[in-house]
Amino acid sequence: MTNLSLADLAGYLRQLGEGALITLELFFASFALAFVLGVLIGVATLARSRVIRAAWRVYASIFMGVPSLLVIFLIFYGGSAMLAAVLGEFGARIDISPFGAGVAALGIVYSAYVAELVRGAIENLPKGQFEGARALAIPPFIMWGRVILPQVMRLALPGLVNVWSFMLKETPLVSLAGLQDLVAATKIAAGATKEPFIFFVATALVFIAFSAASLWLANRLEVRLDRGQRRAPVRSPAQAEA
Amino acid sequence: MNALPIDLALAWESLPALFDGLMVTVFLTALPLIIGLALAFPICFARMSARRALALPAEIFVVFFRGAPLLILLYLVYYGLGQIEALRNGPFWIVFGSPFGCAIVALSLNHAAYMVEVLRGSLLAVPHGIVEASEALGITRRNIFLWVRMPLALRYGLKAYQNEVVSFVKGTAIVSVVTITDLMAVANSIFEQTYDPFTPILCAAAFYWAFVNLIRVGFTVWGRWLSRHSAEDAVVAIPGRQGLGGVVVEAKVTP
Repeated sequence: MTNLSLADLAGYLRQLGEGALITLELFFASFALAFVLGVLIGVATLARSRVIRAAWRVYASIFMGVPSLLVIFLIFYGGSAMLAAVLGEFGARIDISPFGAGVAALGIVYSAYVAELVRGAIENLPKGQFEGARALAIPPFIMWGRVILPQVMRLALPGLVNVWSFMLKETPLVSLAGLQDLVAATKIAAGATKEPFIFFVATALVFIAFSAASLWLANRLEVRLDRGQRRAPVRSPAQAEA
Repeated sequence: MNALPIDLALAWESLPALFDGLMVTVFLTALPLIIGLALAFPICFARMSARRALALPAEIFVVFFRGAPLLILLYLVYYGLGQIEALRNGPFWIVFGSPFGCAIVALSLNHAAYMVEVLRGSLLAVPHGIVEASEALGITRRNIFLWVRMPLALRYGLKAYQNEVVSFVKGTAIVSVVTITDLMAVANSIFEQTYDPFTPILCAAAFYWAFVNLIRVGFTVWGRWLSRHSAEDAVVAIPGRQGLGGVVVEAKVTP
């Protein structure tokens, strides 16, 4: 049935492995960017200023309303011109690689989703957390870093896991901008060996396995972050009386 | 470089082509949505069945077609299935031999897998007591499903359904890889002719944005119509394609 020799297979496996490494790098870099940007945007847009809120609505609406592929192409084709406009002469000389375009595009698109999650989680935190931190004269930087955000992460974790697994499934799109990732390597191997079925199924299974492994880890993390929440809520005496 | 990165003359000129592309995108959204939903019901019933022989294949279907990236599914259908001799000579080659057929098959299978989970989550969210009460009233199982469970499940799952449809629309942007000239492909070809990276892609973005938000508005109106009798709307977390948009947060514990 198959006309693959073992030597061929070993050769392609090496290529696929290299491609998989690039896909992983792309994924981790994009997720890190989306996470950091998302948390910063989420915290910044909680300000009461009307202008900031309006800017957030526009940002979220745009990046949740257009396909990631379109943003990847926009940055890949137009990135140099954009950098030139922002940085002037120096920016014009920067060449946008498919990898850079992919990280920037996925990072920007998913930062909107992360910011939405972070905003929702912060708004669901009891006000007392902020008031308590202020009453104890904890400086704002430490309040966010040590009091608010750890609790936000616990609340936002299920949503972040969603973003994680959805973003993983969008990383192959960057291969359309010319990145030699796992999917591009699979396409080459499939074309050269005339065995597309096996190669594409195998690649799909790699994605599924990675996603399953990370979901398992996320569940462990969730249990760990929830370890302080397991007890039944304690009724304070004052409320019990009332 | 002028202040506006958009060449208005080019934008105006390419509007008809972009609109044709949008129509292809709309078609490639509508048909898989219908086929996917039709597939999702029987698979969902199999998935929820107590019989392992039914539940297991359905579960494998969901894991595979939800877990595999859409681009790879599309490649698999377009390049991979042509390898199978029986299929190439069979009557279904009309479907699998054309890029459109392949795109519709891949998109439908992907959508079906997501919809199985949306449906299952929505059906499980219906309080069991209501079903038991209906049974006690002697309503037939079919009628309970049609008139008690489904209407409630629809209301619980509407948000998840909306998220799924919206991300599905955005997912269709990849069909240009199998030579279909959808909205994204039209924008790309205008870029290749003019080397203007902003005008065609930003115009396409505007079209996508309008389409997606039209869907959002449609769902909002639908949701309001569905819950026109109730003052407060119940929010239940359904495992859809995304908690994206619908934020999953724990209810506050009130002592």
